[in-house]
Amino acid sequence: MNAAPIISARGLSVHFPLRGSWFAPKQVVRAVENVTVDIPKRSFFGLVGESGSGKTTLGRALLKAVPISAGTVRYDDGEKAYELEAIGSAELKDYRKRSQLIFQDPYAALSPRMTVRDIIAEPLEVMGLTRTREETDQRVRAIAAKCRLNLEHLRRFPHAFSGGQRQRISIARALVSDPRFVVADESVAALDVSIQADVLNLLKALQEELGLTYLFISHDLSVVSHICDHVAVMYLGRLVESAPTRSLFAAPKHPYTKALLSAIPSLDPDNRGTAQKLEGEIPSPTNPPPGCKFHTRCPYVQDVCRREEPALENIGGGQEIACHRWKELLDATAT
Amino acid sequence: MSEPIISVKDLTIRFRTDEGLVTAVDGISFDIAPGEVLGLVGESGSGKSVTAKSLMLLNPRNARYDEQSNILLKANGKDVNVLGLKRDKDMRIVRGGAISMIFQEPMASFAPAITIGDQMVEQLLIHTSMTKAAARELSIEMLTRVGIPDAARRFNQYAFEFSGGMRQRAMIAMALSTNPKLLIADEPTTALDVTIQAQVLDLMKDLVSEFGMAILFITHDLGVIAQTADRVAVMYLGRLVETGTVRQVIRDPRHPYTQGLLNALPKIDNLDAPLTPVPGDIPSPLERPTGCVFHTRCPVALEGKCSNEIPAMEPTEQAGHSVACFVARKEAA
Repeated sequence: MNAAPIISARGLSVHFPLRGSWFAPKQVVRAVENVTVDIPKRSFFGLVGESGSGKTTLGRALLKAVPISAGTVRYDDGEKAYELEAIGSAELKDYRKRSQLIFQDPYAALSPRMTVRDIIAEPLEVMGLTRTREETDQRVRAIAAKCRLNLEHLRRFPHAFSGGQRQRISIARALVSDPRFVVADESVAALDVSIQADVLNLLKALQEELGLTYLFISHDLSVVSHICDHVAVMYLGRLVESAPTRSLFAAPKHPYTKALLSAIPSLDPDNRGTAQKLEGEIPSPTNPPPGCKFHTRCPYVQDVCRREEPALENIGGGQEIACHRWKELLDATAT
Repeated sequence: MSEPIISVKDLTIRFRTDEGLVTAVDGISFDIAPGEVLGLVGESGSGKSVTAKSLMLLNPRNARYDEQSNILLKANGKDVNVLGLKRDKDMRIVRGGAISMIFQEPMASFAPAITIGDQMVEQLLIHTSMTKAAARELSIEMLTRVGIPDAARRFNQYAFEFSGGMRQRAMIAMALSTNPKLLIADEPTTALDVTIQAQVLDLMKDLVSEFGMAILFITHDLGVIAQTADRVAVMYLGRLVETGTVRQVIRDPRHPYTQGLLNALPKIDNLDAPLTPVPGDIPSPLERPTGCVFHTRCPVALEGKCSNEIPAMEPTEQAGHSVACFVARKEAA
């Protein structure tokens, strides 16, 4: 991780107040709690976790699409820099051109009443990036070609397209304002396997061509393993482990990461039931357990885990881990 | 192989729609033996759910079954011609009797305003001659059996009070309480997180060995199939393209579509393998290709042959392994 970070978050928290009754104390959902993360420029940064782990909220906080409750987020692409926790509305408009979001469901994300050309052109018009219709058309055609949509497609409506083509339209729309930082939130989860590989390859090719930085949010570890350079694992609003993809998949260190990796169904029919199974389910973020958030399901739990929350510590090689016992467990497996 | 519990022959299902007659399932045949898990794999639009629903006559009214279609079910020592059942009363032999079904999204399958317990008791009262007290007892026992802690209290709760994994467990408990001969599981773990998916798959495996029923397991996830199924049938655009044991199909796929699916899948133990998508897009069901349905995306299609003739399902040299492809057959010869 030598490249300067395009995003650096320090102690980032996002809390959502729940409307309580008159008598009950007000509850707060701590969706993201004290997350510190650097996303290097031009990286394909993966963020994984189960539903309810706060990965989508973290992605949105980095886009300043949800209010930031505490901590700082700095965006710096070399040309412009913003402090997102204190950004003004005029600056925020500029930031929107530089950061974009690709959604999960290409069926819900595209207006059925607009032609594909209008869908892709809308961000340009809203942000006032082009002056004439010719200029708009030119940019729409250029990005459509990069996303492997042909000119004839631009005149049609979204209903005429299959899931994979629709996702390519969503990608073109997100990239038309020439952003530097793109959050792809479960962008291939709704696609069939045969199409998924195509969209992943496209995202990778566009990254090289346009110099993009992605935050790739996914629950599918096998997809993440193939496309990302670096992976961060979230559990109940906290980062529990963050490492370069190869080290994470070759030697996961946090017990949660280990369990997550072994839960992926193996393609080998003779390798059944070797997975290390996790008991129970993810606790509610309104009422998180004290100490390490994972201790309720952790097979290696000790008293210290129930009392104190482990900090994310840097263990070299670009790896970070938040576990009281990781060293001990590593030694135990080595011997 | 023992006598199949259900045998499907030349099943063709079309839907009458505003745009014309849409063929969803095109002449497929398969058997399921007692205690066997048959995995039905295919992408969206391949007709796997329509096939499953036809076994219980759950397709909407605009569905048309072609005349030669035949579904034969063995129930209580008798042969039941499923497609011949006309009255709702007769259909109860199949629905909730010999066959139960669990769905992908358990929140959508439980009534939101009736407690889980009342729903479980209601179906037992309809399908068996149990008293209400016995039905209640059995339901609580089943909930405990599928790993729901404190089942007696959970029994009186509503679906929204259950988490996703718990709901799917309750769904399985409910489906199994009538002791069906065949369980249809339509993407039962797709909406669940991987750690919960692993728990539910384990549970299903345990229950198969305990209750000995057959399972038709529908999914798009080949990893899940590799972990659960005995035999696999691969569907594409309403046709079966390959069937065989799980080892034959996953280790030695013969049909170009099965091979393509496996190549497109990210494999966690080989991060350097490139992801190869199946070229092109799935055709719209209104524009079904002539000849072999896969020829528009097939990398090895024979010009003038695959686009005109429909390849029949023929056995390979391996016992139990069949494939519908001209090219695969030629290579074998």
